[in-house]
Amino acid sequence: MIGLISYLAFFATMAGILAIAVLGLNLQWGHTGLFNGGVVAFFGAGAYGTMLLGGPPEPGQFGGFALPYVVALGGGILIAGVVAWIVGLLTLRLRHDYLAIATFGVAVAFENVTRNADWLTGGARGLRGFPRPLEAAIGDTFLYGLFFLGLVLAVLLAVYLGLERLVNSPYGRVLRAIREDEVSARSVGKNPTRLRLESFVIGSMIMGAAGGLYVSFYAFVSPQDLAPILTFQIWAMLIVGGAGNNRGAILGAFLIWGAWTLSGFALSRFAPDAMQLYTGSIQYILIGVVIVGMLMWRPQGLLPERVTKTIYQKGAKKGSVIINKEVI
Amino acid sequence: MIQNLVDGVLTGSIISLGAIGLTLIMHMLRFANFSYAELLGIGAYTALVFDKLLAVLFPALSGKIGALTLTGTLALSVLLAMVVAGASAVVIDALVFKRIRAKADALSMVFASFGVALILRNVITLIFGQKAQLYSNDIAFAIVVSRDPLLLIKPDQVFVLLAALVLMGGLHLVLTRTTFGFALRAVAENPVLAQVSGVRLSVIVTSVWLIGGALSAAAGVFYALTNHLSPAMGHNFVLPVFAATIVGGIGSVYGAVLGGFIVGIASGLALMVLPSGYIPAMPFLIILFVLMLRPHGLFGEDQG
Amino acid sequence: MKKNMTRFATLAALAIMAQAGTAAAQDCSVKVGVVLPTSVDWGKPIAETALWVAEMMNEAGGVNGCKIDPILRDSQTDPKVGVDAAKALVDLDKVQLLIGAVSSGVTIPILTSVTAPAGVMQISCCSSSTRLTDIAAEGTTKGLWFRTFATSNVQAAVAAMLAKDAGMKKITVLYKNDDWGQDIGKLATAAFEAAGIEVAGQIAITDGQPSYRAEVTEALGNQPEALYLALYPKEGISVVREWISLGGTTKMIGTNSLKSDEFRDAVGLQYLADFIGTDTSAPRTESATAFIDSYTAHFGSAPAGPGLPNSFDATAVALLAYHAAGKDATGAEIAAKVPMVTDPAGEKVGGDVEGFKKAIALLSEGKSVSFQGGTGAVAFDANGDVSAPAVEWVFGADGAISETRYIPLEEIGAFLASVN
Repeated sequence: MIGLISYLAFFATMAGILAIAVLGLNLQWGHTGLFNGGVVAFFGAGAYGTMLLGGPPEPGQFGGFALPYVVALGGGILIAGVVAWIVGLLTLRLRHDYLAIATFGVAVAFENVTRNADWLTGGARGLRGFPRPLEAAIGDTFLYGLFFLGLVLAVLLAVYLGLERLVNSPYGRVLRAIREDEVSARSVGKNPTRLRLESFVIGSMIMGAAGGLYVSFYAFVSPQDLAPILTFQIWAMLIVGGAGNNRGAILGAFLIWGAWTLSGFALSRFAPDAMQLYTGSIQYILIGVVIVGMLMWRPQGLLPERVTKTIYQKGAKKGSVIINKEVI
Repeated sequence: MIQNLVDGVLTGSIISLGAIGLTLIMHMLRFANFSYAELLGIGAYTALVFDKLLAVLFPALSGKIGALTLTGTLALSVLLAMVVAGASAVVIDALVFKRIRAKADALSMVFASFGVALILRNVITLIFGQKAQLYSNDIAFAIVVSRDPLLLIKPDQVFVLLAALVLMGGLHLVLTRTTFGFALRAVAENPVLAQVSGVRLSVIVTSVWLIGGALSAAAGVFYALTNHLSPAMGHNFVLPVFAATIVGGIGSVYGAVLGGFIVGIASGLALMVLPSGYIPAMPFLIILFVLMLRPHGLFGEDQG
Repeated sequence: MKKNMTRFATLAALAIMAQAGTAAAQDCSVKVGVVLPTSVDWGKPIAETALWVAEMMNEAGGVNGCKIDPILRDSQTDPKVGVDAAKALVDLDKVQLLIGAVSSGVTIPILTSVTAPAGVMQISCCSSSTRLTDIAAEGTTKGLWFRTFATSNVQAAVAAMLAKDAGMKKITVLYKNDDWGQDIGKLATAAFEAAGIEVAGQIAITDGQPSYRAEVTEALGNQPEALYLALYPKEGISVVREWISLGGTTKMIGTNSLKSDEFRDAVGLQYLADFIGTDTSAPRTESATAFIDSYTAHFGSAPAGPGLPNSFDATAVALLAYHAAGKDATGAEIAAKVPMVTDPAGEKVGGDVEGFKKAIALLSEGKSVSFQGGTGAVAFDANGDVSAPAVEWVFGADGAISETRYIPLEEIGAFLASVN
């Protein structure tokens, strides 16, 4: 029983961390329409930033300032914000696919730097030994797992509440206005360029917070944590959960991460022995089928955007029955 | 320097072939298709199967052609693989993308294409295994074209470049000289207007998948001929092919060809400016650079 | 012949066990977690080998007469996925022994966030990162961590030694751009330079690139006398075929990762006549050769791929230690029994069903054994690292890998001292 609780807490911790990143993406895509294809770069900036600031010193290695946890995490978030600001200045005037591929490129370049810049990031070996907050004080592994889950859920709740306030404020309405029709937004005196950059930076800082929590959970980070598959996972969570809906984003994170891990678990348990060595490929095929099937069945996500009457949903076509009803 | 440039052109020809279909698909169906490069893998593996099969059926054809490692059976297999890959592209569209197109936006298509890519790659893995495979185990030696500066070229690569140029030339003729070509260009420029003028969109979309699949299959076989086959080969081409498409400008066939060569050459020259570990970032530096100057690529237009 | 004998011996053993009333093997089972990247080309054979060892151990009687039930999970080389799989194995299946992972980027978070805190023993065949030694030295691993992959400095030093013996003056180093490759690339470069050999270039080969033409052209421009290859088979094939087709020298020194049929077949034996390989392994004892024989009998081809003997040894040592500790042992108790399995003074036991049976019997009597596996006599230091002596290998005329020279650690030490 304790084992089950311990595992579920562990699962929920990772799902919660991913959910925070999904919320960040939801602000960028769901609310502002920015196609960020490089989620992993900002997640990674937060992770490496937190590690450099809060990690233990090591000879011949930059960083290892061993700052208090809150300062390190905050610093990591800020670093993610600075990276996002620079990337945003360079790329945000691009649209759609062009923006997606440019930001994707930024993520590849970022991974490349972490893999090669030994002095800064430890190279492919990564950085180790992050002191987990209050681990020594709590001691017991099981209790600590619950404590860390609490920490992650608290951050998740704070981000969720903050975003809900933000997107329901006049500011949030302006963001959606830019998403739908930039020219009209400009005509009423809004500055789309600045607002898009702000949304991009805030969203990326939220992703950075997820990265910071991730590195404190594993106490280790390496370029392997920054594989493009993470960007794909986070996007899949948002799409399945429902872009534009913060609760959908969280639901999507738990569902997709659940499906991802459960499929491996189920295959290890129920696949015949002869198939065990092929489960890796079969699992990928299953994940692919689930995502494709989901998009065919319910492309607007499980919890679609709740559209108020004043907003016209541009992309809404046949499938978006609920949206149409609300619009009418 | 010269060597890197020449190598870049040769790699570029393969990327160009892959990018032509992608640019048309991205433009007409308005979505970034991440599963597209898997067609290279499908083509290359299909050719492998046909090559083995034909070698048994017609042993007379299994001799090498000239200085190439290309055999008669493989040359035939390329054509068959182009047909199969083209047909697969149409089938995938009918099974997945068409249905999603009917009820969802472009972003759903992008993610569906991710899912499709995962499925295709792992099905190839299940069937053929993960080991590297070769059409021919022989190594074709490069010919020394010049000693100073050193310039080495492999006969296979010259063949690949010429074959790629022939295919591109053929496509150019189709686009500029046939009614079908005009219809295709009309749809690319303005789908609504083209439909009003009596062009059947669904026919054009199917043809684009066929053409794209066939060209990708050729690219896949050409790549495998000069390197080797592995289930991840399509995946490894996703980024260069996208880079070529974006640099050229989405929707521009000639842009894609040029973009392919630019990406190939830049990757070839990358080592002169960057340490070797940073080479994978090179296509993106090009993309960023081009997009800084031209936000819609070299030949692209604002899609609005 | 050998196969028949093994089979006969197995049947006999089963018959004896049945008579002795130890059919209890059917009644109880011991779960063992295995987290390996089965969806990656080089990962699958490693997992196959681990499962095969468990099968042989079961034939030999299992852990305390209990059937070993290995639960294999794919890590997908994704740290999140690997760590989650490990956590599920530890919490839900209550495994006390975890075999895995391969990439250090997955192994380390499993170790620091799952196994070490839960007191589960972890053993890896193939994680090479020097980070792991650091972590063990800091005490984070509580003695629960072992790996059968020798640290890279021995292989690097031996490469320099062999290059010097062969009279090479100028070498270009090509290394896989991951933790293992960066590490061994640097160590080899330092060793070559110490031995007075000029390193004309150090070129990173990042995996997943469509073409390595530019990298190979760069290497060609260095005009080296030989290449040093710290690559996996897949990149190795691309790079070496390209290199040879451009008229590069066939003089190559390669690491153990290229000990692979895939590499040999794709490059072609005719170009590998001058290839010298390095590895870390003890001289073959009679019993250790059994590994190659029984592997060949089981899989239909000789073990040839990165990490296979290491995977064999990791699984075997861990399972034997499990037996010695008893079926209800905790991770710490299993880890404490590892020295009993790798005791140099113990009786030598080989890597086949016969050997496992002998080991099981001796360990049950409380006697220690010296396990002679695929990499020879395995022995761990305080940080769970092995440091095996080195071996030089080549692809023989028939294509089989043959080990041509064993180099004791003292000789490597003397070489390093002489050049410094």
